[in-house]
Amino acid sequence: MIDRRTLLAAAVSLGLAAPALAAPQLGQPAPPFSAMDAQGHRRSLSDFKGKTVVLEWTNSGCPYVGKHYGSGTMQALQKKETADGVVWLTVSSSAPDMQGYFTAPTARAWAAKEHWAGTAILLDSAGKIGRAYEAKNTPHMFIIDKAGRIAYMGGIDDRPYADPESLKGAKPYVALALADLKAGRPVAIPVSQPYGCSVKYNSAE
Amino acid sequence: MRFLAGLFLALTMTLPAAAQPPAAVPSPGPAKHVTTELVPEHEGVAPGETIHVALRQQIQKGWHTYWRNSGDSGEPTQIKWTLPTGWQAGGIIWPAPAKIPVGPLMNYGYEGEVLLPVAVTAPANARPGDKVTLKAAVSLLVCAEVCVPEDDALSLTLPVTATPAPAEPMWAKPIAAALAAAPKPAGLAAVFQPRPGGVALAVTGVVLKGANMAGAYFFPFDSTVIDHAKPQAIERGPDGLTLTMAPGYAFQGGKGPAGLAGVLAVGGKAYEIAATPGAPPPGASGLGPPPAKAQGGGGDLGLAAAAVFAFLGGLILNLMPCVVPILAMKAASLAGHGGGEQAEARRQGLAFGIGSVLTFLALAGGLIALKAAGSAIGWGFQLQSPPVVAVLCLLMLAVALNLSGLFEVGTSLQGAGSGLANRGGALGSFFTGALAVVVAAPCTAPFMGPALGWALTQTPAAALTVFLALGLGFAAPFVLVAYAPGLLSRLPRPGPWMEMFRKALAFPMYGAAAWLAWVLAQQSGADDLAKLFAAAVVAGLAAWLAGLAQRRAAMGGKPAVLTAGAGLLAALAVAAVVWPQDKTTELPSEPYSPARLAELRAAGRPVFVNYTAAWCVSCQVNDRVALSTHKTTQAFARHKVAYLKADWTRRDGAIAAELASYGRAGVPLYLVYGTNGGQGVILPSILTPDIVVKAVEAADRH
Repeated sequence: MIDRRTLLAAAVSLGLAAPALAAPQLGQPAPPFSAMDAQGHRRSLSDFKGKTVVLEWTNSGCPYVGKHYGSGTMQALQKKETADGVVWLTVSSSAPDMQGYFTAPTARAWAAKEHWAGTAILLDSAGKIGRAYEAKNTPHMFIIDKAGRIAYMGGIDDRPYADPESLKGAKPYVALALADLKAGRPVAIPVSQPYGCSVKYNSAE
Repeated sequence: MRFLAGLFLALTMTLPAAAQPPAAVPSPGPAKHVTTELVPEHEGVAPGETIHVALRQQIQKGWHTYWRNSGDSGEPTQIKWTLPTGWQAGGIIWPAPAKIPVGPLMNYGYEGEVLLPVAVTAPANARPGDKVTLKAAVSLLVCAEVCVPEDDALSLTLPVTATPAPAEPMWAKPIAAALAAAPKPAGLAAVFQPRPGGVALAVTGVVLKGANMAGAYFFPFDSTVIDHAKPQAIERGPDGLTLTMAPGYAFQGGKGPAGLAGVLAVGGKAYEIAATPGAPPPGASGLGPPPAKAQGGGGDLGLAAAAVFAFLGGLILNLMPCVVPILAMKAASLAGHGGGEQAEARRQGLAFGIGSVLTFLALAGGLIALKAAGSAIGWGFQLQSPPVVAVLCLLMLAVALNLSGLFEVGTSLQGAGSGLANRGGALGSFFTGALAVVVAAPCTAPFMGPALGWALTQTPAAALTVFLALGLGFAAPFVLVAYAPGLLSRLPRPGPWMEMFRKALAFPMYGAAAWLAWVLAQQSGADDLAKLFAAAVVAGLAAWLAGLAQRRAAMGGKPAVLTAGAGLLAALAVAAVVWPQDKTTELPSEPYSPARLAELRAAGRPVFVNYTAAWCVSCQVNDRVALSTHKTTQAFARHKVAYLKADWTRRDGAIAAELASYGRAGVPLYLVYGTNGGQGVILPSILTPDIVVKAVEAADRH
């Protein structure tokens, strides 16, 4: 019986059936996850109960990510929010051999080079967290409120362009949503268009 | 600043440094992924005239640029014009995009070469004789798996002419074609409605009546309204169609968008539509999804090519081991005619030809009728049914064993037709032709699939043409020999080589059997494959016993027991793979009907609905791994969950429509309805006992 199940499971993982997980929903409990971070610690969403959590999908080689790190806007926001007690998780879902693939050492080197200022970099090269959140882009942003519900999902701002010039006068959706949460207001703009490079999932799956 | 920005981007790219183009260098640069240029529709422009200028992109193989909505990632091409005072340029007139899947995501864009036309208008006071330079700063994103932004500064200089200038010889036609093909409104009425299973977009209008709706697709202008990567379920109607699409972020936690505008690609054309919220009209649905394409690989064959291939295929069929014995027999009888009997030989050859061609046409007619009856979709439809696949596999094995010499069919099988075929004269030859075709059929099925598949997706006339060519090819050598008996002497004589040839031909047959076993494994999983293998072993035993019986009979024995044993075992083997599977699940279920669902929900019970089918591998896997388990059974009992099964093993329009309403084109689909009313919760397509137990616990709590 065990053998047969193993066989069946293998058949499934070989792609005989396409997994279709339930999509994340605004106002609904955030999909749980657990992953190793760049420091070698296991991080689970449940570790951060009662805190506001930001998820930021990243890919060090993506020009759109480069726009926000090269200009320093991303690090400034990370620094400000983590100082206010927000948990900032930067997630890399790039598969091995794909652009932006992180091992723990390469993630640490990237963080040092960019002066990254979040809470942890999660190594999700299998794409598990990415698929659970249906993360499409880098940077794709999610905010989980203190009750563990999705309070924001979408782009980091309203400028879906790679050109760093586009940062001027951009409407910073994530910063605005975090300010709303801090003030106890409902998030004025809880959903926006995510933009950027495609998340470099392992396409064999 | 722009230069610095470009430099920064170039530095942060992880492509090999050598492949990096220096930023902001005018096109064409050697390392670029897109070569761009501006091309005009006319050789000049008159005062006050509007002409089109196109941005031509030649995109490196494997890379793509983007449509106005780039899909899940990317960025549309932008053109910033710098024009002399009074000159005006419109927006890009976007050609319909292609779907470009990237891993689990979907992009909309262009590959290869594309023309992006723009209308340019000269001011009324432009002076003929002057030259005008149109400058365009193009910024585009080009992606394979990785993305590279590329910037180009382009310009085009045109003379101002007193009267409209002649067409530009190279580009007028391609630009006119791009403009003609660009999506335009066509008086289509469009409404959309969010439903539990997805956003229904109903489009009706004259141009959609009778259109081929296979592959119809909606490209939205706004990137937040639908989930681009999810399939769009197509439902046809007498006046149009309804697409059911997975909702995008715009439908999250609110009232949804005010409109759904975009491009509907259908039947090789693209129309611009703007849908408003509302209930779909009845004319937009009711006729089910478009018929699926045939499985065969001959999708691009033209009729003439298909007929030629069919003729050649028919010729080759003469060499097929199923046919050789019959032809050998008949050829021998033809050889008997000589001299004065020449006319008789011709008559017989012709009769044989007519017999085989007519049989082929009858076969085609039968298949066309079956297809018209709606029960079949192309050649290969019979391969959708696992028992048929299993039986065919056993048949191929039997043919192979026969060719290997384990037993003989010549004596008995030809005996069936020999009463007719052995008759002398033309009638006998006619029936020999018919018999040869019938006996050849098992050889035809696996090897002629593509041509026949193509034929059956065409009009009946085209299908008949292909079968006619097949029949002519099949009959040709024999008829030829009848008319030119000199040829007969040049044919290889029957002899021991035939026995070698026959045994060698067994191996393609073993191959066909192996292929069919693989098909079955795909369709119904490891258990049925094991059953088929067991049946194959039994069939082999039966074949050996039959051979033994035949040899004893040849020596004058009366091997009644052996013959009966062989027959019994053969019947057993076939029965084992045909007999419906014993479906004893540990979970007691009832058949699904909307009425029963409503009744159970009114009674306040949580309900688990399983849309499943016997041929659905993942459904069976889920059933064994997650549903028919101790844990799930207990959870269902604890929460008094009613378990309804919607069985889609046989085509069922009602279930198909419900699946479509949940944005699914197929099974599995698992829905859990809570006790508090409200909508059903969709479970993942891959279940674990935990997922199921948690879902039913949640359903009972509410």
